Amino acid sequence: MNMQVQALGNSSKYTRFCALLSKLSLMLAVVLLLVVIVCVQWQVIGRYVFNSSPTWAEALAMLLVMYVTALGVAVGVRDAGHIGLESIVSLLPESWRLKLEVVIHLCVATFGILMAYSGWLWASLKWNEKKPMLSVPESVDYIPLVIAGVLIVLFSAEHIIALVRGQEVVPSWN
Amino acid sequence: MELILLSITFTLFLLIGVPVAFAIGLSSIVTILYAGLPILVVFQKMVGGMQVFSFLAIPFFIFAGELMLYGGIADRIVRFANSLVGHVRGGLGMSNVVGCTLFGGVAGSPLADVSAMGSVMIPLMKKEGYDADYAVNVTTHASLVGALMPTSHNIIILVLSMAGIASVSVFGMILACLIPALILTISNLTAAYLVAVKRGYPTRGDFAGWGEVARAFAAALPGLMIIVIILTGILSGVFTATESAATAVLWALVVTGLVYRSLSWKHFLKACAKACKTTGVVLLLIGISAAFGYFIALYEVPQLTGDWMKSLTNSPWLIFLLVNVLLFILGTFLDMAATILICTPIFLPICMQFGMNPMTFGVMMLINCALGLNTPPVGTTQFVGCAIGGISVGQVMRTIWPFYGALIATLFLVTYVPAFSLWLPSLMTK
Repeated sequence: MNMQVQALGNSSKYTRFCALLSKLSLMLAVVLLLVVIVCVQWQVIGRYVFNSSPTWAEALAMLLVMYVTALGVAVGVRDAGHIGLESIVSLLPESWRLKLEVVIHLCVATFGILMAYSGWLWASLKWNEKKPMLSVPESVDYIPLVIAGVLIVLFSAEHIIALVRGQEVVPSWN
Repeated sequence: MELILLSITFTLFLLIGVPVAFAIGLSSIVTILYAGLPILVVFQKMVGGMQVFSFLAIPFFIFAGELMLYGGIADRIVRFANSLVGHVRGGLGMSNVVGCTLFGGVAGSPLADVSAMGSVMIPLMKKEGYDADYAVNVTTHASLVGALMPTSHNIIILVLSMAGIASVSVFGMILACLIPALILTISNLTAAYLVAVKRGYPTRGDFAGWGEVARAFAAALPGLMIIVIILTGILSGVFTATESAATAVLWALVVTGLVYRSLSWKHFLKACAKACKTTGVVLLLIGISAAFGYFIALYEVPQLTGDWMKSLTNSPWLIFLLVNVLLFILGTFLDMAATILICTPIFLPICMQFGMNPMTFGVMMLINCALGLNTPPVGTTQFVGCAIGGISVGQVMRTIWPFYGALIATLFLVTYVPAFSLWLPSLMTK
């Protein structure tokens, strides 16, 4: 707790903004995950208690889990939760290691940009098509890509800034 | 050419340390740009890969596993295992194996298993005079069984990765893993016992009697019920696999929050947050692997791999051995989910050509991945075990051979005796 306070004290406005953003994202993801569980349970209850299985429950659960994923992916980028090979990076001398880590975050950010861009294009293409079972446009399937992409870019930028300044990104909530 | 580009860029991104999911995504994008197709295709395949109902079971199992970690179930399982086998020579090692197997069934993940059981068992074993390397090796290997248990989200990933190649149901795959899980436990027990005898570890008091076994079992039962709920729920047709996973979450909440009363609000939030993050990591990997799989199929990688293998040998025995070796090597570099998602589309077709049932292949795949979890450079379970035991990976590796032996023996039994994986599912279809 002390370390966290200290880190926050030294950090820039941008870092504090990202910390808040990631905490809010994670909270929203938790709420959505709980809703997904309720949806699937509701389907079971509907089938055995009311003798009719609500068709929207399954469709809604599958839609919401994409949003949980999008938010979880982004927070994973900030908290360094994604799994990769670290053996080569750790063998390099300090100055090289920093440069390589910047490159890694640039790669992740590039993917984020492309994901947000493609998601946006798909969302605008599918605006007029309705999803079966739910009366919403098919675009909603692609909006998670935009959310995840934008958040990934923000959080990668935070990591790059922190690397340049020799600071560490502290997970906001774990 | 596109294929060479895909493999080179993927390896390059992976080697410089880009996380696996992003390495897959970026190499797919480079390849699609080279092939002159729009990038949009990659993301369409990605979203498409996530639109499967059984997909939902993955976050549920992850969530249930996280809840069980904080629920005080580990302690009760340790007590039960101790009452059962604690009096044998090397007793704590034996109860460690039994305990890890049971907790693996509750949490369904080797990583959760080693974190929960390891933090109880490893310090206890060290205190009672067992060597740290033995304590860590027993725990890390016994916890691998978690990957084969009905609550394992990797089984769902496996079934998803087979879609389009073979039709295997989640339930069929769950049943196929049960006997191999039992064989692995027996092999682990044997290895733990033999090493304990060789090192002259102490026996620890007498058998406490069946009364104590029954009392300890009653205390652990609410936690263990989760396996029964899943199996009977699907077996009786009350639930689909996905619904049973959602029920597993509710049950985990009831047991840890109301029965054992060990789940604080803080732990609950922590479990929720961890579950969401892990869900993001795993589901992104599944989505992006669908794009990768599209290229694998487009550039006929399974055929090419198959032709190459057939040029080496025509004996099914050798082909299966070769597949096992390749899976093991890839599994040491990649995380479990990534190995499953990348390798299944490549190696399943050739194994099926040589007469292997997809379910046998699945069990083989899971055991190979498990082996990779305890092997550097990316041995996630082993790292956690070593961290708890306060010992280096190098020290653990020096005495790992009896335990590798147990895993490899299980792997060969499953690979070459199909009945071990196919008998239980075949009872279902009759």
